[in-house]
Amino acid sequence: MNDLLPFEWIAAVRFLREGRLQSIFIIVGAAIGVAVIVFMSALLDGLQANLFKRVLSSQPHIVLQRPQQIAQPQRSDADGTQVLMAQQKPSQRISSIDQWQKVRDEMALRPDVLAVSPSVTGPAFVLRGDASQSISLVGIDPENYIKIVPLPDKITAGTYRMTNTDMLIGIQLAEDMGVQVGDKLRVSSANGGNLTLMIAGLFDLGNRAVNQRNVYVLLSTAQNLTGLVGGVSTIDLTVQVPFDAELVAQSIAGDTGLQALSWIATNNQFFLGLNAQKYSSQMIRLFVGLSVAAGIASVLVVSVVQRSKEIGILRAMGGSRGQVMRIFLVQGGIVGLFGSVLGSAMAAGLLLLWRLVAKNPDGTPMFIITVSVQLFLWAALLATLTGLAAAVTPALRAARLQPVEAIRG
Amino acid sequence: MAEVAEELLRLTGIRKSFGIGTPTETEILHGIDLVLEKGEFVALIGPSGSGKSTLLNIIGLLDRPTSGALRIEGTDTTMLDDARLTSLRGHRVGFVFQSHYLISAFTALENVMMPMLLDRGRPDAAMRTVARDLLARVGLAEWADHLASNMSGGQQQRVAIARALAMSPPLILADEPTGNLDTKATDSVFALMREISAASGTTFLLVTHNLALAHQCDRIIELVDGQVVATVATSG
Repeated sequence: MNDLLPFEWIAAVRFLREGRLQSIFIIVGAAIGVAVIVFMSALLDGLQANLFKRVLSSQPHIVLQRPQQIAQPQRSDADGTQVLMAQQKPSQRISSIDQWQKVRDEMALRPDVLAVSPSVTGPAFVLRGDASQSISLVGIDPENYIKIVPLPDKITAGTYRMTNTDMLIGIQLAEDMGVQVGDKLRVSSANGGNLTLMIAGLFDLGNRAVNQRNVYVLLSTAQNLTGLVGGVSTIDLTVQVPFDAELVAQSIAGDTGLQALSWIATNNQFFLGLNAQKYSSQMIRLFVGLSVAAGIASVLVVSVVQRSKEIGILRAMGGSRGQVMRIFLVQGGIVGLFGSVLGSAMAAGLLLLWRLVAKNPDGTPMFIITVSVQLFLWAALLATLTGLAAAVTPALRAARLQPVEAIRG
Repeated sequence: MAEVAEELLRLTGIRKSFGIGTPTETEILHGIDLVLEKGEFVALIGPSGSGKSTLLNIIGLLDRPTSGALRIEGTDTTMLDDARLTSLRGHRVGFVFQSHYLISAFTALENVMMPMLLDRGRPDAAMRTVARDLLARVGLAEWADHLASNMSGGQQQRVAIARALAMSPPLILADEPTGNLDTKATDSVFALMREISAASGTTFLLVTHNLALAHQCDRIIELVDGQVVATVATSG
C-alpha cells in the first residue's frame, strides 16, 4: 500500500487487479476503440494532407485582382431617376491593380499572410511551325513566387531559371507541342505582343489542365507581352491557416476594395468534399468513442453490483458517499488510460503495417502518414476522460447505495 | 460506594416500518425503549424475523427509524444528515458481521487499517502500527500480510473484530459473529470479545441465537415480534 496514494486510488487499483480477467477484457475493449480512432485519424489526416498538398501546392491561397468593371446606370441630373432601363455588362479587360506596390506592402504586413507575390496573368498563344496552343501566361517575380507555389520542386526537366528570354512550361504542353528543354517557342499575346522564348524547364503541378495551360515567364516579360507595363493584374497570397483563407479574403476585400478570391471559393467542390470527409470521420470517431464509453460503463455497473457488499462494509466503517463514488471514477479513468496506452501501441503497429503494405505500383508510399505525438497524447487524454465520464453513472449508483441494502446485497 | 453506570446509548420509542405508503406496509419494530451502558456486554436474542438485525442496523446508524429517538453519548442522531451520520458511525461504532465481510482485495493488516484509512484518506506508519497491535491482540500478528481469502472463518472473524476496534469506538455491534463458526472457534472468538470489553471498557451488543453464549453476557435482551419482551441480567 503506497503511502502517497489516496485511499480511493488504492482501492480502485486493488479492485481492478482482483477482477483481473474482467479488467483485462475492458482495457482491451477500450484499447481497440482507441486504436481504431488513432489509426483512422492518422490515415484520414494523411489522406487529407496529401489531397490538400496536391491542390494547394499549385495555386495561391488568395488571388487579389481589380474589381470587375461594371456599367454605371445613366441618371437624370435633376431627380436621380434612371434614364436607361437596359444595361449591358462590359467585357473584362486585363488591367493593373491601382497602386499595387502599396497593396503588396500592406499585405506583407498582415499577420495572417505568410507570403505575397505580384504577377501578371493573361491569355496568349504559343506557336511552333503550324502548331499553336492557347495558354495562360503567368508573369512572376521568381524569388517571391516560390513562396506561393514551390515551382523548383515541380521541375521535372531543365532548371528553375527565369531570365527575360526564358519560359517554364508544363509537361503536357511540351508533349502537345513536341518540344523539350532548350527548344524555343513563339509566344503571342491577345493584344499583339510577340516574343520568342527558350524553354528553361518543364514542370509537373499534378494537374493535367494546369500542365497544359500554364506558362511561366518573368514578370517584366509578361508585362511587355500583355501591354501592362509597370502594372500587375493579380497579387498572390499564402496565408497562415489555409482553412481560414475565405475569412482572410473577405477581410482583405473589405480593407482594400479589391476582389479577393480564396482557394476555397475557387475550389468549392473540393473544399466541400474535404469537409464532408472531415465530418464523416468525426462522426465515426464519436461513435467509436461512445461504444468504448458504453463498454466501460457496463463493466463498471456489473462491478458495482458485484461489490455491493464491500461498498456496504466501507460505508458501515465510515466511508463517505464521495469516497465510494471516487473509487469507481478512478477505475473508469485507469481503464481509459491503460486502454489508450495499449490502443496507441496497437495503432502505431497498424500504421507501420500500412506503410509497408500500401504502396504505389512504383514502390513509393501511397501517401505520407505523419504520426504526431500530439495525436497519441490527445487520444490518451480523451480516453481517460471518456473512462471517467463512463464511470459517472456506476459511481453515482454505488454512492447512492444504502449501507444496509448494500450489505444485504 | 456503588459505581454509577454511565449511559452510552438510549433508544426511545423506536419504530421501523417497511413499504411505507404501500398496501404491504409492515411495522417491524413497535416502539423499542432501550438503554446500553458503557462497558456492558449485552446479548440480543429472539426468533428469526423478530427484528434483531433491523434494530442493530438502526443502532449502528446504518438505517434510520421511522419514528423515535436514538442518542449516542448524548448526541441525538435523529436529525443528522448523511455525512454526519457517516462520520459518527465511523468514529463511535464498530461492526462485526456474521459473514466477516472482509474486503478480499486487501490483506488482513490492510483490512484492519481500513476504518482509519477511510477517516484520514492516506495510509501512514502510525496506522500500520495500530493495525499490527490489534492483529497481535487477536492473535494474528503473523497473518498480517495474508489475503482474507486465504484465512479460516475463525481467523477472518478475529480480523473483523480487530477492524471493529481500529477507531477505538465505545460501541461494537456484532450480528451473529459466531453464526458461521465451529464450536472451538465460537468459544475463542467470544472469549476474545469478552476480554476486549473487560480491558477497554468497550460496550458490545451481540445478536445471537446461541443461548449458551447469551448466558455468558452481562445482560440478555429478548426481542419478539418487534418488541422487547424481557431484559434479564445474568450472572455473566
